[in-house]
Amino acid sequence: MQAFSCLEIGPIFRALSRNKVSALLIALQIAVTLCIVVNAVHILLERRAQMARDSGIDEANSFYISSTGFAADFNQQVTIQTDLDAIRALPGVKDAMQINAIPISGGGWSMGLQTQPGTEFDGVGTAVYMVDEHVLQTLDLELIAGQPFQDTDIRWRQGTQRDWPAQTIVTKALAENLFPDAQYQDVVGKTVYINDDEPILIQGIVDKLQAPWVGWNRVENAMLSPEKTLFSTSTYIIRTEPGRLDELMPKVEQLLADSNKGRVVRGMRSMNETRERSYRRDQAMIKVLSTVMITLTLVTALGIVGLASFSVNRRRKQIGTRRALGASQGSILRYFMLENFIISSVGVLLGALLSLGLNVVLVESLGLTRLHWYLLPIGMLALCLVGLLAVLGPAKRAAAISPAMATRTV
Amino acid sequence: MLTMQELTKTYRTELVQTHALSNFNLQVEEGDFVAVTGPSGSGKTTFLNIAGLLETFDQGTYNLDGENVRGLSDKARSRLRNEKIGFIFQSFNLIPDLDLFDNVDVPLRYRGFNSAERKRRIERCLELVGLANRMKHLPSQLSGGQQQRVAIARALAGEPRFLLADEPTGNLDSKMAHSVMELLKDINDRGTTIVMVTHDPLLAQQAKRNIYVKDGKVSELPSLTTAAIFTAQAVNAD
Repeated sequence: MQAFSCLEIGPIFRALSRNKVSALLIALQIAVTLCIVVNAVHILLERRAQMARDSGIDEANSFYISSTGFAADFNQQVTIQTDLDAIRALPGVKDAMQINAIPISGGGWSMGLQTQPGTEFDGVGTAVYMVDEHVLQTLDLELIAGQPFQDTDIRWRQGTQRDWPAQTIVTKALAENLFPDAQYQDVVGKTVYINDDEPILIQGIVDKLQAPWVGWNRVENAMLSPEKTLFSTSTYIIRTEPGRLDELMPKVEQLLADSNKGRVVRGMRSMNETRERSYRRDQAMIKVLSTVMITLTLVTALGIVGLASFSVNRRRKQIGTRRALGASQGSILRYFMLENFIISSVGVLLGALLSLGLNVVLVESLGLTRLHWYLLPIGMLALCLVGLLAVLGPAKRAAAISPAMATRTV
Repeated sequence: MLTMQELTKTYRTELVQTHALSNFNLQVEEGDFVAVTGPSGSGKTTFLNIAGLLETFDQGTYNLDGENVRGLSDKARSRLRNEKIGFIFQSFNLIPDLDLFDNVDVPLRYRGFNSAERKRRIERCLELVGLANRMKHLPSQLSGGQQQRVAIARALAGEPRFLLADEPTGNLDSKMAHSVMELLKDINDRGTTIVMVTHDPLLAQQAKRNIYVKDGKVSELPSLTTAAIFTAQAVNAD
């Protein structure tokens, strides 16, 4: 009871309510800070989660390189086969293949697959990777159901060709999107349709492989098409033994450049760099948001320090009087901390409402997800702590004011 | 009640040493009403600050209600101030943002009384000073005399053994000063020891005993004639 009666919540609250403009301004500043910080943290966490998603491939040990033939006697089909044989034979190369698009690189192919033939049915969007029988080893995919491609399954695709191979391997996510009511294992053997009515048999399911577009909401949907392409440019993706990527990248580049003078070799890039480039905007956004959050919190903390210092200086005589009337140094410290806590509490309660309001706007206008419930109490607690830390210095100065200040005439 | 022996207080700055009190001796008995007078800079305020445990002293002994206060911690001094001493200040020192009820409540909260006990004491003390009907008023809504009455109510609320008054009528006109002085005499008649520091020898004459402080030392000033001499000195000093 004694400790409670010392808390002076009632008198502090009544005194604040009689002198409320500066306290309200600080409470409002805390509210706006909480609102922006909580929503920024939410966006930040969402981006981080997006960036942390596994693309499915062995990124640390993979790179790709493109070759474009220009000589009149350039034979695309022979070159591809020769290149792949040579690359695969290099010590330290785990596997390699030609591919039409690079996962998470930003550019690629997409098609729609539907479970019934006919133009009246909507397809499920998916990325298309044209690959050969080395795909599982090269991309580090796990076949979780069905059969892998054999070399006899692989066909050559001309640049103008519109039809599709008769079988495919799809990601588990695509299988579940196509057949939401079935277990993914049961999707093996089912027929889906491409180009409205061209049947394709699903012969296998792989655990995970992301599409080239990291911002796409169906980024986990991908199908593997057993074919090599005879387009003007060929891209090879190469997976090395762990730790040998840096050593092999220049070797492969040199190998390709030396082996055939009727083409240019270009666009060599590691998958790590590809990831970094694809998420560059997200990285920048994270930096900007973090800076805004830190700056805003600092400005608010400085505002609290300013108000508390002003308030202490204005009330030096009052503090001396309180000390004379029996307040210990601890009581004065507690008074200012409590006063700040009351202001902060009003601020964070108002801020919680503002945060929810801003989140609703962001959900509706920018398609963001709803705020994680736990961010609000954590944010409220954190800002109250920032407030208490900010007021600690001025409160200590107040506690150090001599009780003899009560009898001074100035 | 209050015994000071050979009390010394020196203020030091980088350039100057000021002996505010030197070999200061004083004994105040229970139930006494002592007026402390003296010219500006004589050490009255230093005496008041030390007597009220607002400041420490360098040498000597000071017993307050049988307790030697030398070397007490800040917390212990705060508790003693709260329990044994009621303060009345020249400029009232009411807290402007708090109404009369909350102002009188301030020392009671530091004492840790429960809310019912605090309410009983606040109402009784405001009743005693004739302001029970203005409990929800702010200090700024009262006259100077009324504000000093609130300060007296605040000083009495903790039922202290003695009151320390620092120029209690210094900021009041003569009519209000008279009424405040009558209130203090009334409080003294009920048994509370009062030590009052004042410039005003006529006011001092209304106390039971006069102490004259000069150059940080004490001498008794029993007669009105000497008071008149002192008045002349005070006027010259100012």
